[in-house]
Amino acid sequence: MEKTGFYEALAEILEVEKVGDADVLREFDAWDSLTKLSIIALADSDYRTVLTAKDLDGIATVGDLKDRLEKNGQ
Amino acid sequence: MNLRFSNKAISGILTVVPAREVAFEQEMANYNFSPAKCLKLKLAMGYGKHRIVAGDACASDLCVRGLTALFDRGLLKKDEIDALILVTQSPDHFMPPTSNIIQGRLGLKRDLLCLDICQGCAGFVIGLVEAFMLLEQEAIRKVVLLNADVLSRRVSPRDRNSFPLIGDAASVTIVEKDPSGGPIHANLKMDGSQADALMIPAGGFRCPSSPETARLEEDENGNFRAKDHLVMKGDAVFNFVQTEVPPMIAGLMNAAGADPGSVDYFMFHQPNRFMLRKLADKMQVGYEKMPSNIVENFGNSSGVTIPLAVTFNAGERLLRERLKICLAGFGVGLTWASILMNVGPLAFCEMIEYD
Repeated sequence: MEKTGFYEALAEILEVEKVGDADVLREFDAWDSLTKLSIIALADSDYRTVLTAKDLDGIATVGDLKDRLEKNGQ
Repeated sequence: MNLRFSNKAISGILTVVPAREVAFEQEMANYNFSPAKCLKLKLAMGYGKHRIVAGDACASDLCVRGLTALFDRGLLKKDEIDALILVTQSPDHFMPPTSNIIQGRLGLKRDLLCLDICQGCAGFVIGLVEAFMLLEQEAIRKVVLLNADVLSRRVSPRDRNSFPLIGDAASVTIVEKDPSGGPIHANLKMDGSQADALMIPAGGFRCPSSPETARLEEDENGNFRAKDHLVMKGDAVFNFVQTEVPPMIAGLMNAAGADPGSVDYFMFHQPNRFMLRKLADKMQVGYEKMPSNIVENFGNSSGVTIPLAVTFNAGERLLRERLKICLAGFGVGLTWASILMNVGPLAFCEMIEYD
């Protein structure tokens, strides 16, 4: 799994320079349905994980998302 | 399930799109989304312009336009049609079947099987499978497969989930016996437990249309739609496609003993460019072999997108050449189905407009 690329890929999706584990997903300006779909696609392509929009609503921070993807992607 | 057919072929494909073309930018103001975000949506998903019917044009109108063009040009004779299959989710009426209406409007012979099939995104593949099965009968020599939908009439113009990508269209595909036709492999699967992933909740007998079902309501993403409108769970559909389609195609190739590298085109249903490119990446198929340009040029017209992809991307080639084509449809039902077959040289393979 391409775990080293997680922060870079997420920063690109969220249209910011960088992201940190404590950042709250829903507080990003770019947080919308299209961003959610991009993360769902990232989960599928890089982590072979099925993530739903509802799953994402229950994930608070960047670190939580990383944990979720890595747990399922193993 | 895996299916196998022999001695059958497609001999011509004609697609019909409404003359009315609308650009994404002309509709952006309808969406509860900033112009900047709308443009990002357009780029990411691959939206451009789409063809949608003006006024109250129906599925049968598009089909009659296509069939009349073929009769007028001598490419099809009325009395040689033994079965008329129409795959649609936007019938003219609940009863009678729209295929019977088309038969009547065109004065086709009475010794004819008319059959409506309610299928959507996988409707071209399901319709072909039905046509191949009918052709097993001695009395049935030529089947006309019609795919037609005018679903723009049931999508909320204020729903940026579905309206930017919807398109209306019809196709006429001639399927007939062909002693020289090679083996045709097909497979299909269905999952009705996810029936609500793509649906029009109201308007049928379960929930008849009323002033209540016509009222626009806002969802959590700021889209406005009524129960009379199509609603799609985009994330569920995305995950379904990425999870189920690659193994379906691998199974098809395996059953056919075919090398994916020998396939000239993967002509797949066109939900949007985003989803198709992710699918191509996952299947390790080059983008040039899996066209994804139908939504940006015409919109997603449900079961008609595969014939549109064929006529738009390979129309000229298929008049001269024989190509190995993998067809796949996936979506509403849920239904997913695929076919591997040789196609061409065809008597006709082109697109016309409906005014």
